[in-house]
Amino acid sequence: MRFSVLKRLPSAWRRPLAVTGALVTVFWLVVVLAAPLLAPHDPLAQDLPRLASPGAGHWLGTDELGRDVLSRVLYGARISIPLALLLVALSLLVGGALGACAGFFGRWVDETVMRVADLVFAFPTVILAMVVAAALGANLQNAVLAVLVVSWPSYARVTRGLVMGIRNREFVLSGRLLGFSPWRSLRVDVLPNVLGPLLVLATLDIGTATLLLSGLSFLGLGAKPPAPEWGSMVAAGTQQFDKWWIGVYPGLAILTVVLAFNFLGDTLRDALDPTAARTIGAEKERVA
Amino acid sequence: MSQPSAPSRANKGGAGRLRERVAAARQRHPFASFLTRRAGTAVLLMLGVTLVTFVLTNLVPGDPAAAALGQRAVEDPAIVAQFRQHYGLDKPLPLQYVTYLGNLLQGDLGESQQSHQAVLTDLRAAVPATIELAGTAIVLSLVIGVAFGVVAALRQDRLTDQVLRVLSLLGVSVPTFWLALLAFYVFFYRLGIAPGSGRLDPGMTAPPDVTGLYTVDAALAGQWPVFWNAVRHLMLPALVLTAYTVGLLTRFTRSAVLEVLGQDYVRAARAKGLPGRTVLTQYVLRAALVPVITVAGLAFGALLSGTVLVESIFAWPGLGAYAYRSATTLDLPAVMGVGLVVGVIYLLVNLAVDVLYGVIDPRVRVS
Amino acid sequence: MSRLRAGSSPATALSLLAVAALTLSACSGGSTSGSAGGGKTLVIDTSFNLKTADPGREFEPTGQIVDKALYQTLLTFKGGDVTKPVPELATYEQSTDGKTLTLKLKAGAKFSDGSAVTADDVVFSLNRVIGLKGNPSFLLDGVSVTKTDATTITLTSKKANPALPFILPNPALGILNSKTVKANGGAATAADKAETYLNAHSAGSGPYTLTSFNTNTQVVLEKNPKYTGSTKATYDKIVIRNVQAPTQKLNVQRGDSQIALDLTGDQVQGLTGGLKVLSGTSSDVVFLLLNQDKKISTTTSNAKFAEAVRKGVDYAGLLTLTGKGSAQAAGVIPSTFLGALPASQATSRDLAGAKAALAASGIKNPSVTLGYPSDLTVDGLSLQTIAERLQAQLKEVGITVNLAPAPTTTELDKYRNGKEEAGLWYWGPDYPDPSDYLVFLPGNLVGLRAGWKAGADPELTAQGDKAATTIGDDARKALYEQIQTKLNASGPFVPLFQPSHYTVTAASVTGVTYNPVWTLDVAAVGTK
Repeated sequence: MRFSVLKRLPSAWRRPLAVTGALVTVFWLVVVLAAPLLAPHDPLAQDLPRLASPGAGHWLGTDELGRDVLSRVLYGARISIPLALLLVALSLLVGGALGACAGFFGRWVDETVMRVADLVFAFPTVILAMVVAAALGANLQNAVLAVLVVSWPSYARVTRGLVMGIRNREFVLSGRLLGFSPWRSLRVDVLPNVLGPLLVLATLDIGTATLLLSGLSFLGLGAKPPAPEWGSMVAAGTQQFDKWWIGVYPGLAILTVVLAFNFLGDTLRDALDPTAARTIGAEKERVA
Repeated sequence: MSQPSAPSRANKGGAGRLRERVAAARQRHPFASFLTRRAGTAVLLMLGVTLVTFVLTNLVPGDPAAAALGQRAVEDPAIVAQFRQHYGLDKPLPLQYVTYLGNLLQGDLGESQQSHQAVLTDLRAAVPATIELAGTAIVLSLVIGVAFGVVAALRQDRLTDQVLRVLSLLGVSVPTFWLALLAFYVFFYRLGIAPGSGRLDPGMTAPPDVTGLYTVDAALAGQWPVFWNAVRHLMLPALVLTAYTVGLLTRFTRSAVLEVLGQDYVRAARAKGLPGRTVLTQYVLRAALVPVITVAGLAFGALLSGTVLVESIFAWPGLGAYAYRSATTLDLPAVMGVGLVVGVIYLLVNLAVDVLYGVIDPRVRVS
Repeated sequence: MSRLRAGSSPATALSLLAVAALTLSACSGGSTSGSAGGGKTLVIDTSFNLKTADPGREFEPTGQIVDKALYQTLLTFKGGDVTKPVPELATYEQSTDGKTLTLKLKAGAKFSDGSAVTADDVVFSLNRVIGLKGNPSFLLDGVSVTKTDATTITLTSKKANPALPFILPNPALGILNSKTVKANGGAATAADKAETYLNAHSAGSGPYTLTSFNTNTQVVLEKNPKYTGSTKATYDKIVIRNVQAPTQKLNVQRGDSQIALDLTGDQVQGLTGGLKVLSGTSSDVVFLLLNQDKKISTTTSNAKFAEAVRKGVDYAGLLTLTGKGSAQAAGVIPSTFLGALPASQATSRDLAGAKAALAASGIKNPSVTLGYPSDLTVDGLSLQTIAERLQAQLKEVGITVNLAPAPTTTELDKYRNGKEEAGLWYWGPDYPDPSDYLVFLPGNLVGLRAGWKAGADPELTAQGDKAATTIGDDARKALYEQIQTKLNASGPFVPLFQPSHYTVTAASVTGVTYNPVWTLDVAAVGTK
């Protein structure tokens, strides 16, 4: 079962959703790279009037310490987006490796990995991530670790399913008959064939990772002050209800980033073989 | 399909043979053995949940005595000793865990260090609040999500479909905590349409406690003003929670319906000239419900996660708020209680999903 | 987001405010308009710090509000004036050596079940507080309680205890109906089982009785028809709800509640609808701690570095965050207490001096880690905001501050064990007497948290010992001022400010008076 992702891509890319998603993603990537050039103020400088509503000099208003909300939102992209990418890469690596082993070797390896995955699924993700983050101490690295703890199982499940689907296929078996060691067989014959769908799953997951990370920061378990992290900026906004701009703009930033990645992911999913798309779809939702 | 071929049996070895024997037994008494197996897994899973919660909570640096006692009291060794003895914290960790399991077998979840009440009493108050909220949200999501999904599928690639697709993607992309904040600000503060926080207006007395669900209890007692008040308080937080699940269900219903529409038997039914509505209800919806139910089960888990963030903004005295408070104050018995309840809910939802499969799709029952 | 208010400190128990000019009509005033409030419900929003309604175990701010309404104490304070204890259930007389306090019960007081308040009830209640070893037990440390005759109780302390009359008004020392409590498992030892009962029913002689109690959602009180005291309650029913500060603002503005207790200076800006905003200086003191233990830090234990910090903080700049009514703390003792340093002696910013001191310290590019509880608010003010502002201010001096917030439970542990290099905390009085502030001296409770061991400053310790047992206001005042001047010059603490405490009420509400011990006496609240 080979997936013809690439072949189907071009037509899918012409859809308005895909174009919008791509444009917004590019916008945020530019912000990540060029934040210091784009931001009108130092995101940490407390030199503006406090709690000023949006206006000239501070287009998105200022926060409780007199910092420029616009500059903080722009700089926030440098925290949220790279971390979400890193997180997804790590989940892919850890979950993929464990799932491949489970699917390929079966028996007790499979049992162990899948039962642990079940255990993780038994907790609502936010609650588990919350306890893990609290246990490790509140900072961004630990928040990433905490989300990793709850996110690897879906990759493991998908990989396992895919690997089990092809481990008894002729080209794999013939490799084994030629005397490939299990590891070599896994590496040479199996993995290249499951990588495509996994990458699609990963793309779909970037939005979710961004949401979870900012959620932890919102709860005070992620970014450390005074870092301009979007989730913690929304949390500051909850303390000043009527100063809506403090919380609304960083929330909008999260929304647009997640939406853009989901637009892209959705397009990719459509480009996928329908059966694989469904497996991945079902697993993807568990992450949330 | 049901009988594996000989070579693969040989490959599987001992475990495989055992599995086949179990499979054979299952074919004789399908439902009973299904339940037994489920119960076995459940017990193991719950044991895992308690162990993980216990270890994690003990890993957190900090001292529950400092959180539970005052700054002054905690400096008095006699008071701290009394506290540790009362909660069994003076014993070695493994013994604490075994003691906990022993008490658990007798239905005793311990006493919360923060509320000074039995954890069971706390949960008895918090769980119905969350069930009422998450339950309302899941019912709303199912109604809206399935309707959206079916419409999107029937109008595939037309404008309606495109709009619904964007809406559903918006739903899964919006940060719940931010949406809750925004909804509260707009509908309560600016427009004054929604009632304030909590489950009832202040001064309104809760209905006599039967189920703990205020709407149900009020209806049972015939207290209609209380009923309507409870419904009004439920709506906004429930709607905020549905954003994500509606998005999810719309997408899944759409693809499930599309897949069924492409099946030969549906095409045949259409070709035979069966009215569109009959085909839709008799064939399409029925078959499409299977994947939808799966997703609904998953969505319930997502809802429980969402409640952690939403409950605090709406001051909803549910499990999410209780979990947050317990976790941040290292209230071990309470955290363990939350872990157990959540585990049980997870198992029940999965069980319900599996049973519903059988009810909806006879093919699942046969195999 | 749910900011957990220190689940912890008894210090928060007494959070709040000064006497101040807010006393509208202390107790009695409400009675004439009583009929107007007949059948009415008063809704009070506060962000709960509540664990129990049992006076013997309670020492949290919300618990104090509740128990103040349910139980009477032997002595009390009138309105918000905590400088002079006055009789409630009893009159008092203190011996000249400060070791004996004789209390004479007034006649006629009755519990809500109609039985009389007796000396036995008093002895049982106070002994129960001591015996339970609960959060308020320390209030009666070293005190023994004896019944002299049917209406006389004697409290004997081992050492001179001039603060005792200021301690007795604490609602945690409320008098319980001993028969009812004993019948429900009560005892004056740790074996006591009456908490469950006391969380469902009250057993006191206060103006209200307990209708329902939930530590997470709300507490409902109903007027006690058998009440014999002087404060006549106006409202028949009082609902105290657990609501986060930002929502409190919305509720009170929409008329959902009549009183909001935890709004900050920023939040009371732009209130509409004829609401009354009462503000006053809180008696919580927010301070910076610099660890003196060389093993923890060679930077903060450097005296010149401490001087640089003290001179480098922009105190006036902090007050722009804390709002109207807040004040710079001249010393660790809050401005409204006996022995407070006058505002003129407060440290002010001296940037050049700070830089010079930093240079003299010999530390190049100093960097310190500042720990603080991220989820703790002091009178609605988040320590997070203060920490971020301090970081920016000290950067101007050339000191890099790394912020290390942690949940209260975790951070409190580090703080208590003296493991923080630098810390941002506050001290709320356990009782309104300067002797409560001797904890800041070397070898004492808070001193040790700053790694300031006993013997680090013998002269200061001697002054402290003398202040603890000295009787007479003038002598005590002079001693406490001396101690603080010395603390400010060479101690490991930098007193920053006292926040402002705001209470917002509906226009119709009268009789709202703030008291640093119990925040609000709900029975004194009336209506126009």
